[in-house]
Order: sequence, then C-alpha cells, then structure tokens
Amino acid sequence: MTSVTLKDIKKRFGGVDVIRGIDLHVEDGEFTVFVGPSGCGKSTLLRMISGLEDITSGTLAIGEQTMNEVSAAKRGVAMVFQSYALYPHLKVRENMGFGLKVRKLEKAEIARRVNEAAATLKIDDLLDRYPRELSGGQRQRVAIGRAIVGNPDVFLFDEPLSNLDAELRVHMRSELASLHRRLRTTMIYVTHDQIEAMTLADKIVVLNQGRIEQVGTPRELYTRPRNVFVAQFIGSPKMNILPVAGLQASSRFIEHLPEGASCIGMRPEHLTIVDASHGMLKGRLTLSEYTGAGSLLHVSLPDGTVCLVLQNGPSAPKIDDEVGIDISRDDMHYFDAEYRAIRAN
Amino acid sequence: MTRRTRQAVYRTCWILALSAVAIPFVFPFLWMISSGFKSANEIFGQPNLIPSVWHWENFAEIFRYQPFARQYFNSIYIAIVVTLLVLVFSSLAGYALARIRFAGSALLMLFLLSALMVPEEVTIIPNFFLFKWLGLMDTHVPLIVLPVFGSHGIMATFLMRQYFLALPKEIEEAATMDGLSRFGIWMRIALPMSRPALAAVAIITFLFSWNLFLEPLVFVNSLNLFTLPLALSNFTDPYGLPLWHLQLAATSLAVIPILLVYIIAQRQIIESFAMSGVKG
Repeated sequence: MTSVTLKDIKKRFGGVDVIRGIDLHVEDGEFTVFVGPSGCGKSTLLRMISGLEDITSGTLAIGEQTMNEVSAAKRGVAMVFQSYALYPHLKVRENMGFGLKVRKLEKAEIARRVNEAAATLKIDDLLDRYPRELSGGQRQRVAIGRAIVGNPDVFLFDEPLSNLDAELRVHMRSELASLHRRLRTTMIYVTHDQIEAMTLADKIVVLNQGRIEQVGTPRELYTRPRNVFVAQFIGSPKMNILPVAGLQASSRFIEHLPEGASCIGMRPEHLTIVDASHGMLKGRLTLSEYTGAGSLLHVSLPDGTVCLVLQNGPSAPKIDDEVGIDISRDDMHYFDAEYRAIRAN
Repeated sequence: MTRRTRQAVYRTCWILALSAVAIPFVFPFLWMISSGFKSANEIFGQPNLIPSVWHWENFAEIFRYQPFARQYFNSIYIAIVVTLLVLVFSSLAGYALARIRFAGSALLMLFLLSALMVPEEVTIIPNFFLFKWLGLMDTHVPLIVLPVFGSHGIMATFLMRQYFLALPKEIEEAATMDGLSRFGIWMRIALPMSRPALAAVAIITFLFSWNLFLEPLVFVNSLNLFTLPLALSNFTDPYGLPLWHLQLAATSLAVIPILLVYIIAQRQIIESFAMSGVKG
C-alpha cells in the first residue's frame, strides 16, 4: 500500500491553465474520489498521476518516490478507463494477462494471477471470450481484472461506471466498494456523479476550474461545505441558496443570522411544508414533481426566488396554494458576500 | 394469386432483369475465354461463344512464343513484394501522422496529398532519368520502388492514417500503462486492430501492381523481366499486329490470380473500394 502526494501540481495546455496548483495527500489504502463539474480538471489530474499526461510544474510522489519523470508503466499504478479500453483482438484471458506478458513474467505466473483475479471478480467463465461478446458490466469487470493482476500500489479509475445503465451502476458501485475493502489498496476515483462520490469515498476532493474547493469526508462535505460551490455540488437536489437582502421571513428566522451572512443555504430534504401562517418563509407552490417516495416541490418566494422542498409521503399541497416553509436552525448554512461559509454560533 | 406466388413471380422478374443488365459485363469476359480456344480467323468471324474447333495448342504456344511462365512469376513476386512493402510503410507512416504530435504534421500530410494531383505521366520522365542515373534501368527495382513511394503509397498512407485516427485513444493509453513502447503499440495493438484497413490496402495495392503497364514499358527491356501487362501486348506478328488468339489465351491465364482473389475476398474487396473511394 502506498500514499500519493501532490505538491503545487500545475498543468498548462497551450496557453490555458487546466490545473492551477493542487496540493493533496492521499493516505495508504484510502479511497479518494475526485469530483467536480465537466472541465474542472479531475480527469487531467488523474492522468497526470497515471503518467499519461506530463506535469507542467510541481511534484508528484507515489510512496516516497518522486514520479514526475517516471514512465506510466513504472509508476506502480493501474488505470481503469471509462470506455473499458479492452483490446478487441484479444480474449479476456489475454487482455488481463497482457501487461504481465509485456513485463515478461512466466506463463504459469500469468495464468495463476489471471485465474485468481477472475475468481475474485467472478468472471472465470468469461476468460475465453472476446470483449465484443461481453455485456457492459462484464467488460467493466474485465477492465478491473486487468488492473488487479498487476498488483499495483495505486488503482486509478476514470469514470468507470459512466457507460453503464443506472441499475448496473448501483451494483458495480457496491462491488467496487467491497473490492476496496478486500484489497485495501490506495484507490483514486474520478466521477462527476456526486452520489457515486458520497457512497464510495473515504475522502472526497471537490475540484472546480483546476483548483481544489474542499477536501473532506463525504459527511464533512455534506454538513460543513466550505463555500456555496461545494454546498450546491454535494447533495441532490442541490442546496437552495437564498440571498438575505430582500428576503421576507419571520423575525425568528432573521434574528439568528450570524454577522456578515449574505446568503442562506437550505437543503431541500431539510425543509418542511407547513401552514402559510407558521413557516419561517412563505411562498406559492408553482410546481410539484412526483418522485415516488415523495414530491419535489417548487415554491416561489415573494422576491421571485424558487425554493426547492423535498417532501416525503404521498400528500402534497395543490399548485398555487400559499404554503409556509420551515427548517431547523441546525440545518441552516450561512455564506458571506464572497460565498464562503460562515459558522453559526 | 397467393402471397407466396406473388413473391416467386417478383423474384423471377428481378433475376431476369439483373441477368439482362449483367450480359454486357459478362459477355466480353466469356468471349475472351472462348476466343483463347479459337483460331485467329475464327475470332473475327461470328461472335459465337463456343469455338467450332477447340485449339488447346494456343495455350502451349503462349509459353513457346516468349518466357511467359517467367513473366507470370515476375508479376506475382513483384505484386507480393510491393504489397508487403506498401503495408509496412503505409501503416508506419499513417500511424505516425495520426498519432505522433510533431510540428507540421498536418502540413506534411497536405504536402503528401498534393502529390496525388500530379499525374503519373508527368513524373515518369524525371523518374526515368533518376533510375538511369542510378543504373537501375532494365531491373525490377523501379517497378517496386515507384508504387511503394509514389502516389499509390501516399494513397495507402492516407487510408491507414484515417483508420488509425478512428481507433480509440484509450486503448493505446491502456497499452502504455501495460508497458508497451510506441513501436510496440503500433505492432501489437494498432496493427491487429486495423485488419480491415490493411486488407483494403493489400487488395488495392496487389491489383495496382498487377495492372501496372506504363512503368514496365518505360523501365524494362528484356523479355525475361517483363511483367504480364507488358507480355500480353507482346503477342504480335512480325509486322507488329496483335496475335489475338494468343493474346486472349494469355489474358485468360493472366486473370486467374485476380479472379481467385475476388472469389476468396469478395467482401473485403467491396469494403476496400468503398473505403478508398476508388473504382475497381
């Protein structure tokens, strides 16, 4: 098991700064997830760790060794690609053993490792098939198997579940989690799906425009987001951000605002619909989206802002009804004029 | 009329119509083969397909008239060598142009493609002087070198480049992670994945070399070094007039390898022409 350390890592493509100085330490055996919107640089950062992309400046160390100038194959990392990247002209067995063959391992050793990995991933019966004869989930398993056979120090996953359907994605997610529990190897995982990040990660790194916005456990990111970007990126549906100026709310609501608060953040799942005369906020229900377990209600506030409320249960107010919205003070988030979090007293 | 009968009638009409369309294409070919068995006089008599007397000796005469077996061999070995060399060079150059980032690669491709605009007849004279200067006249070297590095080689390179461009980059990156060098990726990943393109290039090149006429005419003088297209035009009487019965018998033999290639690789040939955008 090996740690990964990034010190002031930067990447420039032509005149564009894609990664703008990343400092990060990934502990031995930790499952770290890079998450962020499209174009935030998460895949580029992963590719820099893998050795597929050069590092413009900064230092990358895997374990104790600086890896900036070490070739991809000699970094002790294995990568699982979004498109699986299996060799179409080779059978599953040959795909999995290809890297070992290039490293000139003995045939018996290659066969042993391939069989062992296949047993771990329950793909023993697929070893003599070509990739084109496999389903998406099976291909992904083979891709993971190919990574496992090399006994890497670090696993890198580049959105490995994006091409799978929703049901299979959930299943593969739990398989990846159990694989990590079994192997206890350092894993770095890139995704734009925050549910994937929340469920898999020991540590989440939220990236935006080539910079780290926040690093923390899934719980820390959910309960104590450092800024509006993280607050809105983590959690689904995303957090309501209401500007304090122009907010027509009950005195109970306003009097507890911490000093310097310019915006209030409220997660839709923490809000409850109450009678119009009792809520902290008042508004008119403009849209109700039925989700099965409940409804996602769109409530238009007097200043025109739309506030989302996730209501459990079958009953929901009628469209155009005046409703009140309530929330526990402990569930509220406050942000200053520069969208940084303020901790309430 | 039942649905089944209607389908049978429809099908028969189609077959008859297609057969009628095929006659202008098939008749000259069958006439060529049958004329190989006729006497010189009969060929210009009635255009019947069945010879009145079967002249099997025409085929023996071909080999007595000139070293036809040797010329046949020349065509086969030159076509094979040219095909192999074009496959190696076009796939290497095509891969480099598709995958290796270097200054001016797009400009280089444009420059190469512009060479396709220059007709062969224009370059044949400078090439003649070049090979004369190199002392390679009356050898097979020009017949091998010119298709490999000339306009045909460029066309093949372009085809391979386009195919390599369409290969998923992630597969090559996986190979990099597995420890392959750039050359290793070309040989063990890119080439096996490009079999359809390689087959297309191989077929087009073989046909190109097999049908080459101008180059052998310009660069080769000795009968022993002739290739088939040149040999076929050499079946003439002392006054230079064609000996049609021998020429057609020899042509019938000359089409056998091409016919075999067509029969074995029909699907790939159609794909290759579709891919290259050239006519068969």
